[in-house]
Amino acid sequence: MSRIFWEISKRNIRLHMLRSSLAMLGIIIGVVAIGAMGILGNSMTQEISSSLSSVGDSVIVTPYSGSGGGMGTGGGGGGGGSSQNLYLTDQNYQQIQRAVAPNTAIPIHSASEHMKVGVGSDDIVAIIYGLPTDKVKDLLPTLQSGDYSNGNSGCLVGATFASDHNVQVGSRISIGQDGQYGNLRVTGIIPERGMSFDISTDSAIVVTKDWFENTYNDADQYNEVVVKVTSGDTAGVKTTIEKQLNRNTKEKTVTVTDSKATLATIYSTFDTVTTFVTAIGGISMVVAGVSIFNIMMMSVNERIKEIGIMRSIGTQKREVMSMFIYEAGIIGVVGSLIGGILCVVAGFAVSALMLGTTKYLFTIASMSSVVEGVGFGIVVCLACGVYPAWQAANLNPIDALRHE
Amino acid sequence: MAPVIQFKDVVKIYPLKSGDVTAIDHISFEVERGEFISIMGPSGSGKSTLLTMMGCLDTPTGGDIFISGIGVRDMSDTELTNLRRDRIGFIFQYFNLFPLLNVTENVSFPQMLKSQSQVDEKKAIEKLRAVRLEERLYSHTPLELSGGQQQRVAVARALINDPDILLCDEPTGNLDSKTGASIMELMSELHRKGATIIVVTHDPNVAEYTKRTIRIVDGRIAA
Repeated sequence: MSRIFWEISKRNIRLHMLRSSLAMLGIIIGVVAIGAMGILGNSMTQEISSSLSSVGDSVIVTPYSGSGGGMGTGGGGGGGGSSQNLYLTDQNYQQIQRAVAPNTAIPIHSASEHMKVGVGSDDIVAIIYGLPTDKVKDLLPTLQSGDYSNGNSGCLVGATFASDHNVQVGSRISIGQDGQYGNLRVTGIIPERGMSFDISTDSAIVVTKDWFENTYNDADQYNEVVVKVTSGDTAGVKTTIEKQLNRNTKEKTVTVTDSKATLATIYSTFDTVTTFVTAIGGISMVVAGVSIFNIMMMSVNERIKEIGIMRSIGTQKREVMSMFIYEAGIIGVVGSLIGGILCVVAGFAVSALMLGTTKYLFTIASMSSVVEGVGFGIVVCLACGVYPAWQAANLNPIDALRHE
Repeated sequence: MAPVIQFKDVVKIYPLKSGDVTAIDHISFEVERGEFISIMGPSGSGKSTLLTMMGCLDTPTGGDIFISGIGVRDMSDTELTNLRRDRIGFIFQYFNLFPLLNVTENVSFPQMLKSQSQVDEKKAIEKLRAVRLEERLYSHTPLELSGGQQQRVAVARALINDPDILLCDEPTGNLDSKTGASIMELMSELHRKGATIIVVTHDPNVAEYTKRTIRIVDGRIAA
């Protein structure tokens, strides 16, 4: 194909710079919409993924919330009372422990409780978790500062709790209405864990199992059992527990949640949301495509005589077609590349504003959204140029020559 | 040697809703290499249809047309286009240059189609000198040229692929008489150098430059 058609296309775009620029603007907006939405969606997925991935190896066992069998019922511990009135018994726990061996099963007490930090401070209500001393490291393997509590008078606090109430290692927390359950000394601060399926420690405190049972007198009443799966897969462990504890198919004992499967569902939901939002961005690309189509049709109509001259002096149909495809392609490539650059900027701004971080901007997933936006922009332009180009190429040379 | 153009009992009928219109009615003639011919006739006589068929822009309804001995009746669009590019040079009444290209590029356009390469500036300049266009105008665009200058560029463009035939459609129709005369002088000069030229015109002054005149009336050759 002679370069002269490429040259004519470039010059025609320059000749109608305003018109071409407006067409490009449509493509730029479309690419930015698709790319920025894609970046935001991917960043959200990755943000959630990073905060949940640490719990992706857990199986959570909770009492079956239907008509319970084999479980004790009772009030919540302490003054605040438990948020649930169904419990797993120690027998349930032992069954779970045997079923999942060699994986670790961690029995967990929990209750909401009134407490005060320091003398004269406001009364606050927070969750208290009771964990076995020998298994706390399995669930909370690292601390932000301080150390694990050895005795019954110590506790760990979540990072958000610590920052909200100005708690440091060594601070004392008075538990219960007017301190009825005594004081606990903060020995360590748990790093931020974000969302989790097992326990949410960020705004809670963690005490020893013994302290919890002594204080609330509810030994043998666990709110949940968390199994940290280090051997085998979570789905297999879930099935094993269900087989052991839910033998009675009419009345189940426990509800077993596979955190990995739940994560997969969450990721899938985010993917769907990202696709939906990106598709909305795609609508602007369709509008831009219509604009390109319109401009290409105008270009053909303005140049009918020129096409007639070209055909009469020996230009093939495919060469006429190429001239208009080049024109649509130039608008598409230039517009899409500018859009690609701008959508990185827009993605940066949207991520910073909505997620508070831009660390996921230059990941493969986010950049692939930009590439997809640019690619889609180019394809839309070329597709919208095909029909006008085909129409131009198939004009009758005699009619085209006579066109005024 | 085969005639440059040979029409054998050519018929062209345009089917219209109101009924068929016969534009060319059983015409036969030959044009030998090196001839300088004018085709004359009143409006609607069929001379433009004759020109489009000689230029392979249209095919006959009946009969046969041969260009340099090659039958065109059953040629595909691609083959007809290549024939126009390689063997026929067109000169139009309204010059029909490309406004986006400069003089040299306009002249080189058919050569670039043929060779699929860049502008052959040397050959373009050779043709522009042959039509006596001032060198300072070579980089100008058509809109910066006078009518006479544009027509000289159009003649140079028609000559660039060394065609067998130059087909001219009212080449002086859009020029003043003095400029028109200078263009016809140029045609005569090209003819003397061996070019085969066919001019479609209604102007007897133009026809005087040619060596033979074919008169068309109602789609038939009158004399």
